[in-house]
Amino acid sequence: MNNNWQTVIGIEIHAQVNSKSKLFSSSSTEFGSAPNTQVSLVDAAMPGMLPVINKFCIEQAIKSGLGLNATINNKSIFDRKNYFYQDLPQGYQISQFKDPIVGEGTVEIDIDGKKKIIGIERLHLEQDAGKSLHDQDPNMTFVDLNRSGIALMEIVSKPDMASPEEAIAYVRKVRTILRYLDTCDGNMEQGSLRADVNISVRKEGDELGTRCEIKNLNSFKHIGLAINFEVDRQIKLIENGDKVNQETRLYDVSTDKTRSMRSKEDAHDYRYFPDPDLLPLNLNQNWIDEIKKTLPELPDTKKIRFINDYKISEYDADVLTQDKSISEYFEDVATNRSTKLSVSWVASELFAVLNKLNLTIDKSPINSKQLGSLIDEIENGTISNRAAKEVFEEMVTSEKSVKDIINDKGLVQISDTTEIEKFINQVLIDNPDNVQKYKDGKTKLLGFFIGEVMKVTKGKANPGLLNQLVKKKLDN
Amino acid sequence: MEFDKNSTLKLAKLARLSLNDEQLDSLEKDLTSIVSFIDQLKEINTEKIDPTSNSLNQDLILRDDIAENKLSNEDLLRNVPDSELGFFVVPKVIE
Repeated sequence: MNNNWQTVIGIEIHAQVNSKSKLFSSSSTEFGSAPNTQVSLVDAAMPGMLPVINKFCIEQAIKSGLGLNATINNKSIFDRKNYFYQDLPQGYQISQFKDPIVGEGTVEIDIDGKKKIIGIERLHLEQDAGKSLHDQDPNMTFVDLNRSGIALMEIVSKPDMASPEEAIAYVRKVRTILRYLDTCDGNMEQGSLRADVNISVRKEGDELGTRCEIKNLNSFKHIGLAINFEVDRQIKLIENGDKVNQETRLYDVSTDKTRSMRSKEDAHDYRYFPDPDLLPLNLNQNWIDEIKKTLPELPDTKKIRFINDYKISEYDADVLTQDKSISEYFEDVATNRSTKLSVSWVASELFAVLNKLNLTIDKSPINSKQLGSLIDEIENGTISNRAAKEVFEEMVTSEKSVKDIINDKGLVQISDTTEIEKFINQVLIDNPDNVQKYKDGKTKLLGFFIGEVMKVTKGKANPGLLNQLVKKKLDN
Repeated sequence: MEFDKNSTLKLAKLARLSLNDEQLDSLEKDLTSIVSFIDQLKEINTEKIDPTSNSLNQDLILRDDIAENKLSNEDLLRNVPDSELGFFVVPKVIE
């Protein structure tokens, strides 16, 4: 059915600035507080109140713009976007319309090893709205203004994406960049980062089709499902001879479908005009340059450095740089240690535990120093890889040091040649038939002897050494 | 510029105002006169002048990022017609 159809996707990301206070008032931005306890007279739009802009939010917007390879506009203007809704006491949202703080930029995404550049149209600062609860009372709506006035960065992409995979990769990448820059915590569950997705379809070579906007998607999974549903819906409409209406739609999590948001139909006439309460924002180039100097190493650069410095695969580098905390944890572990062991202990063993416990790396039960000392014990031959797994499991729930766990469990590897030889001799005496068969050419039996020694030593014989010694004994 | 009935109605709807015919007529006249008055500005040639969003010759004043909640929930809700459990309560708005 999707023959010759092309999907065109553009995305608006709303990213909450991680400031302590709101964009135009001093109220706290703390998540999860009691309703309406973080609302100032400005947020409640009491008559005569004036907005005063938060300097930190401006810096964060500049920083984010620089991280998205975008131009920073030396002059930008705040406008009023007028609409009437119960979660917006002012009757308008302070936003930026014609002159945003950040202009065009780019983000690189990677789909199965193929790179693609997604254009950024702009980034502007605006106020978030309050929260409405519709399920508290059958006839009434409850309003909480704690979120009202918190600073958002709206990041608008160009319509450069052609599939749900690209759309997800784009949002993921922007989120990663903002988290590296520490300008937004990227917590999608708490709504700190949400996406409005604009979708249209067209036949190859045709002009752009009519687009629909799906509002407020707050997980990667929902972004993918909503796009798939919407693309099918639009193609079916057109193939049946109908037209796509330009409208705002809502994604319903319980049905995986999108539906029209009638309430927004009249709201398109926003009557933007410059907010007379706010002067234009003039940015001194020195200030921008100062902020530029504070930019951390960003994921793309870090990934290339990991590939070059640690000689790891692109895949591993990707996994280890997707999150700033993960990359820092890995570097702590890998410095002066075997890269191979570090990658496998962080990316396989530790990630498996974090997934199982549903924890982020910042909350890891094993810190980088502890994991490092475990790897040290493998590298210096004290314990085998297999024993290390047992120690690792214990470390997840125990406060004990690596050394104590190894001693308590008696996992110290036997690396003493004479001692291992004693065990080998015993095994050879106990199995004269197999010794004869080996001597007659059945060299595959080497594994049998090694296994037997491991059995009597409870797996504690140094495997490399054991292998060597058994061979020497039998071949003599 | 003439303000006709349709544009007055639309404006009222956007502002969620319910107006009777008499009020609409009267508003239509007032709005026409206000807009015509402001339209005089269009006669000035501004071709070579940058748009001005504010006439004050001053920079935007910036505030440090310090959080303080000065208004209690009780004071915030003191004047509202209806509240419950610390929320503002308004007639049902259906999405």
